[in-house]
Amino acid sequence: MKVSLNWLTDYITLPTEDVATIREAFESLGHEVEGVEVLEPDWTEVVIAEVVSVEPHPDADKVRLCQVVYDEARTPVDVVCGAWNFDVGALVPFAKPGAVLPGGFEIGRRKIRGVQSNGMICSDRELEIGDDAAGILVLDADAPVGTDFADHVDLPDVVFDLSITPNRPDAMSMLGIARELSAYFDVPYERLEPELPTVPGTPSTTVEIQDATGCLRFTGREIQHLEIAPSPFWMRQRLWVAGVRAISNAVDVTNYVMLELGHPLHAFDADRVVGDHLIVRRAEPDEKMTTLDDIERTLSEDDLVICDSTGAISLAGTMGGATSEVSDATSRVFLEAATWDPPTIMWMSRRHGLRSEASSRFERGVDPDLPLRASSRAAQLLAQVSGATVLADVVDEIAVPVAERTLELPLTVVERTLGADFPTQHVAELLEKLELHVSGDDPLVVTVPTFRPDLERPIDLVEEIARLHGYDRFGESLPRGSAAGLTPEQHRERRLRAALTGAGLHQAVHLSFMDPDDLDLIGYPADHPARNIVRVRNPLRDEEGALRTTLLPGLMASLRYNASHGADHGGLFETGRVFFADPDTADPRIPRQPLRLGFAVFGVSGGLELGGSGRPTDAYTATAITRLIAAGLDLEIVLRGTTYPGFHPGRCAEVVLGGSVVGHVGEIHPSVARHYDLGGRVVAGELDLPALVGPTPRPQLVTPSVFPRSEFDLAFVIDRDVPSADLVATTVAAAGELVESAEVFDEYRGLEDGRKSLAIHYVLRAPDHTLSGEEVTPVRTAMIEAAAASGATLRGQA
Amino acid sequence: MNRLDDIIEAAPRRVAAVRSLDELETVESELVGRHSELAELQRGIGKLAPEERPAMGKALQEARAALTAVLEDRRRQLERIGADALLADDRVDMTLEAYRLPAGSLHLIQQTIDEITDIFTALGYAVADGPEAELSAYNFDALNTPPTHPSRAESDTMYLEFGPHDSALMRTQTSPMQVRWMEDHTPPVHVIVPGKVYRSDTIDASHLPVFHQIEGLAVDTDITFSDLKGTLAHFAKEYFGPATTVRFRPHFFPFTEPSAELDVSCFNCDGGEPSCRVCKGVGWLEMLGCGMVDPNVLAHVGYDTDVVTGFAFGMGVERMAMVRHGINNIRHFIENDIRFLRQFT
Repeated sequence: MKVSLNWLTDYITLPTEDVATIREAFESLGHEVEGVEVLEPDWTEVVIAEVVSVEPHPDADKVRLCQVVYDEARTPVDVVCGAWNFDVGALVPFAKPGAVLPGGFEIGRRKIRGVQSNGMICSDRELEIGDDAAGILVLDADAPVGTDFADHVDLPDVVFDLSITPNRPDAMSMLGIARELSAYFDVPYERLEPELPTVPGTPSTTVEIQDATGCLRFTGREIQHLEIAPSPFWMRQRLWVAGVRAISNAVDVTNYVMLELGHPLHAFDADRVVGDHLIVRRAEPDEKMTTLDDIERTLSEDDLVICDSTGAISLAGTMGGATSEVSDATSRVFLEAATWDPPTIMWMSRRHGLRSEASSRFERGVDPDLPLRASSRAAQLLAQVSGATVLADVVDEIAVPVAERTLELPLTVVERTLGADFPTQHVAELLEKLELHVSGDDPLVVTVPTFRPDLERPIDLVEEIARLHGYDRFGESLPRGSAAGLTPEQHRERRLRAALTGAGLHQAVHLSFMDPDDLDLIGYPADHPARNIVRVRNPLRDEEGALRTTLLPGLMASLRYNASHGADHGGLFETGRVFFADPDTADPRIPRQPLRLGFAVFGVSGGLELGGSGRPTDAYTATAITRLIAAGLDLEIVLRGTTYPGFHPGRCAEVVLGGSVVGHVGEIHPSVARHYDLGGRVVAGELDLPALVGPTPRPQLVTPSVFPRSEFDLAFVIDRDVPSADLVATTVAAAGELVESAEVFDEYRGLEDGRKSLAIHYVLRAPDHTLSGEEVTPVRTAMIEAAAASGATLRGQA
Repeated sequence: MNRLDDIIEAAPRRVAAVRSLDELETVESELVGRHSELAELQRGIGKLAPEERPAMGKALQEARAALTAVLEDRRRQLERIGADALLADDRVDMTLEAYRLPAGSLHLIQQTIDEITDIFTALGYAVADGPEAELSAYNFDALNTPPTHPSRAESDTMYLEFGPHDSALMRTQTSPMQVRWMEDHTPPVHVIVPGKVYRSDTIDASHLPVFHQIEGLAVDTDITFSDLKGTLAHFAKEYFGPATTVRFRPHFFPFTEPSAELDVSCFNCDGGEPSCRVCKGVGWLEMLGCGMVDPNVLAHVGYDTDVVTGFAFGMGVERMAMVRHGINNIRHFIENDIRFLRQFT
């Protein structure tokens, strides 16, 4: 909300003019200052002049020849003007030759189409005191001709743009702000109690509230003999500073009162209301109404409307209708000031995309005690600016009686929340500054005025006490903690990420959505568990149509992003949730949403030689990363070759931990990689995160032996499909406890009959003595025999 | 004996003139070899009178030791010179990046979460992780959000096709985990909740439909507004630097009362620099929302509001990182461009 300091001065005299101090006051009161604008006359030599003649231009039909007077001798000055919204007798701001207008624009004497023009008649846009560029600024009839126009404008001014929180309807007005500053600076402010001259009479319009949920109170006044005309200059200027467009006196006055008192009003052209009886009710399904923006709207049963005998003529609290709109011909208005149910207005204005100054107030909750005061103020202003007369009687239909709320505030509530420095007297003083009535001792009995619907409970009063006391006046202390910290699992999750970054992978973050079609791209069949998707009911885009059931599409898409931006290699990992349509084990009311670890790599990986050459990524990159994770987390994992959707049929492994499969790693199927525009071999893996970071036995020391080792190599020939790990395990098992390590150091797959050769390097060592030849030989024999039993022959001995 | 003295005296100069190990070998055999003068003298001992023999023997022994020492010194010198030359020839361009070990990176969001987490675990907070697909009952109802609150609208919140209509949604804040945590724990409670949150937002330079928050909650028998201020002032100093000052402004949130917004002094300009790129001359940076936990929230989980009070706060992780690292477009966080990721390790 825009707050003009000049306007504010109508109600309150602040003890300071310092902008920073006033800004600090607003911030401290909880009204965030989003901007401060200093407005000053940015011109020289502009006077108020009277137009004394207007003639057509002999050679141009878009401009006219005028004469204005402004000196005491009433010397006519010729000037050419392109505006048409004035005539002889108009009082206008006139820039004399030599004047400088905003933007450094100098006014001189010049010839326009052969006619001398000695100055310029200005529009409010040209003076930067308004935004009406359609015509020149026509001043009120009593503007003093010949005086400096700057003295006639309410400048300089300072305008604060405040962000009012949704719980504070009372602060959505100039008077409300004056009340806040009055409490802050401890200075009085003037409550506005308009004195309204009326003529005897009763409004011809009657009102019936049929929906007491939506309409709490409906008041109306009838104003007669209205003459629709532009509002006086001072009012137009204030509306402009507040960011509201001036239209005509009838409309401007309702807006002015809304800004001043915080109560939106609506003026019906009383002669265009058909049947003189208004009914407030919910709309019929598919009922139609044309709002005053000339849009025909289809209403729903949740909409609240005001109807005459023809049907809906106004969307309650939101926007009036075209059929009863005030026009230039209007002479009699029925002025509505009603109290609406805030949620009803909020949903209605959102539903129709009609959020406005009025709806922003009604949805916060306008003071139910305010309607008659507001319409009285508006009627007073209308009478003042247009000579209208106001009927003495009012319509006042009350569906829900207005009542002040009384709260009991035990001082312990204050003390427990704010600390011990709040004696009764201080608390009472603070609350009374806000016009709350306080009696009693402990508990305090607090009566809340109707303009503060947000104060419903003792704790709400505590907030007011803290706010007025000043948040910056509270001390700072550190409470005790719970001696908590990270859990072992959380520590291990950090170790997991450290292992992955150590392998050269970069952590990625993706949105948690997917397009269900992503699962086709990744190659998952229709019966894959990842097809058990949860859909988003109201997605903004197709890509966000469902919650992801796998991390792989996101990772693959990000590899593609990097490749398309010039990267020739790269590795990413992500930890995050995936979501399935079956109930969560911990809480069956929500979808199951396990945490996963995913990774994907393309191009070369590992250490890089000059020129970026390195080891091309392949299936062994995936298993190396997997083993690195296992090593980083003290996990005993087993990799078993398998097939899995999305992966290369011969280059995929399942990761087994504690007897359970916890995920799959390997090369992405070439056709899947092609979907993501990635060439070469691309590897990826997706693993169950809790399984990796879950509790694991602490490693126990095996003292490194100080005795010499005995080493030998064995080369076996075996079926190509027998995993090397099986052969190693078989031979190691046969060797008993003496094997310190066994490593395959060569694989040759070019043998006949689908066989391969595996060369294994064994290291044997005893913990307590030097191994002798006599000890090693039988062990070696046993290893060879065990290998033979599993189909492996020693190479060269076939 | 004079001869011996001459030999010893002349030897150092002679040895010092030697320029190579080969030459040193020649000189060595001349000085102490089988055909050297020294060996000659040694062999002549037998011709001396028996009483002269011990003295001569001793002198010869000392002379040999002295000559050997001189030779050995020179040998070591020459060896070192030779090795140095070899090594000098072995030099490389140390500015060349001829081999690179892989260096990955933690995502800046992760780093920010970890750093903030560490500040709070040091104060005795636990760290909780909660469901992102959440019940509306936890995300809104239990947090004192009225049924008519605009944040429940489909234009703001993503609802899921799961369970009864409107029952499941993508959490719009990490706050529902406050409720789940309190349901499972009795006071004192000190916990932070980092994690993803979801809003129906179109992606632009400052909005993502998925972003991260860190929620904090402390509930105990004697927590006051000053504890909230002290805790967050400590956090701000830890995260933004010891010179940081804070300002608390009244604000409104459904689940705290009193509520506040926390501003921190601009770490870039120390306030009041009109052209500051970080604070735009305001001097303060809007950092997070906080407040004393609304009694309705505590009562909802069965806590005795006559006994315990608490405070809660919530901050945007992306905002923290953007402010501190000069990131002007939030989209960087989800593009996963390695050129972005590797800048923050």
